[in-house]
Amino acid sequence: MVQERQTYGLIRRKGAWSWLDVRGRRLGAWAFALNRLTGLGLVLYLVIHLLVLSLLTQGESRWNDFIALAKSPAFLFLDVVLFFGLLFHGLNGIRVALVGMGLGVERHKTLFWVLMTIGAVLLLLSAWKVFSSPAT
Amino acid sequence: MAEQTVQFKVFRYKQGERPSYQTYTVRVDPRTTVLRALEQIRQEQDGTLAFRHSCFHASCGTCGMKVNGQEVLACVTNVLELGTPVVVVEPLDNAPLITDLVVDMGDFYARYQPAGMPMIRESEFLPDSQVPEGVEHHMRLENCIECGLCLSACPVAGSDPLYLGPAALAAAWRMVEEPRGRDPATVLAWVDHEHGCWRCHAAFECSEVCPSNVDPAGAIMALRRELTRRKIGQLFGRR
Amino acid sequence: MERGQQGTRGGWLWLLQALSGLLLVLLLALHIVANHFIVEGGLRTYQDVVAYLSNPLVFVLEVLFLLTVTLHAGLGVRSVLLDLGLSPTAERRVNLVLTLLGIVAVAYGVWLSLMIQGRA
Ligand code: SF4
Ligand code: SF4
Ligand code: FES
Repeated sequence: MVQERQTYGLIRRKGAWSWLDVRGRRLGAWAFALNRLTGLGLVLYLVIHLLVLSLLTQGESRWNDFIALAKSPAFLFLDVVLFFGLLFHGLNGIRVALVGMGLGVERHKTLFWVLMTIGAVLLLLSAWKVFSSPAT
Repeated sequence: MAEQTVQFKVFRYKQGERPSYQTYTVRVDPRTTVLRALEQIRQEQDGTLAFRHSCFHASCGTCGMKVNGQEVLACVTNVLELGTPVVVVEPLDNAPLITDLVVDMGDFYARYQPAGMPMIRESEFLPDSQVPEGVEHHMRLENCIECGLCLSACPVAGSDPLYLGPAALAAAWRMVEEPRGRDPATVLAWVDHEHGCWRCHAAFECSEVCPSNVDPAGAIMALRRELTRRKIGQLFGRR
Repeated sequence: MERGQQGTRGGWLWLLQALSGLLLVLLLALHIVANHFIVEGGLRTYQDVVAYLSNPLVFVLEVLFLLTVTLHAGLGVRSVLLDLGLSPTAERRVNLVLTLLGIVAVAYGVWLSLMIQGRA
């Protein structure tokens, strides 16, 4: 079958940021967008984390100064943000990996909420842990 | 009947011109569908408004469009149940615009063929037909009414023009699931690449909007399960 | 019919991303618990870090963690970049740059750990 193809001027396509545009979309698209955002955030964190560790080569006092800074409340708050990113990305990732391999497809929403509940509990626990550790 | 007036903000586009929105005021009753309202606009107010439809009962798949940002079949979407004073009507995304609410479905349809879509229904409804080995019950791919709602809703199709798309992948899985004597390997090869079933991010939007219970996302995951199985088999030297 | 230039690579990459992700859940839990939760005060002093990394098992686990996380991050960034609608040439460049960055990150991490070990 030969197909006559015509090029029209216009195509309504959201383009590169389509994954981020969750207007009117549902759970799955939200989870996908949030998964990418947390993923990108974690990459940024990984880079910073690796760079900060280079302080270790600059001797004991530089490192211990940094540790003191890292125990300030603002830093601890960022730790909780980090935990949120890790927990969401990790737990949602478990779902995406399982579902993507064809496991639990019919129950992906239940799976999502179960994992998120676990995540919420772990987030509260880690927040408590972070803020209750003694400031030395 | 309790009539009401509703504003319709309709996407307008004629080739070579800039797209715009035009607002029409329409009297609707509790039974008016979006498709009927559009017809009313065309008959009573603006003969230049173009849209597609045929069956009026959710079986031809030609009246797919976006209503208030959601992909729906206009013929079965009740206006008052939308509950908004202004109803925004736009064409489907991710397909070339021809005019107004009409998009070119050529590429979309063309992908059903390499997917090996069983176009002809076989004897599955004859009382003495036998259920083939390994198939628990007949699920017809023919469920898919080729409306393109899934393609419009898919975030991946929104960024990757080469993505095969949910409907074609669902058709491919249907063929693999029940090859009816054909070789599924060609179809599996057709979907096994980065613009095929691996591109999907399991957002399940396609299955959410599908008006015909095709569950394309489920089919994509099934394709990946099958391919994963074969790949792992390959790893261990099985063929 | 159009199809990807990449042959069947997508499937393997997806599988790698999923499996590395699952592995990371384990390794990361270990990493966090070992580095922050069983330590008094949540963070290690200089002496503690040196002693900790000098344990060969810890060293192996941390390097494995670094490898996995770099792989997973690289594949993830690649998938975001692919959505920009890259030409095949641009895609090859992305692959190259990300691979190089990954190698640098791992080499840097291993070098750092060895440096620190050397101070024990
Ligand atoms: S599940 Fe896959 S095909 Fe369906 S909408 Fe989501 S990304 Fe698109
Ligand atoms: S899979 Fe569903 S949404 Fe997609 S074209 Fe077929 S019927 Fe329409
Ligand atoms: S007119 Fe046929 S599906 Fe709507």
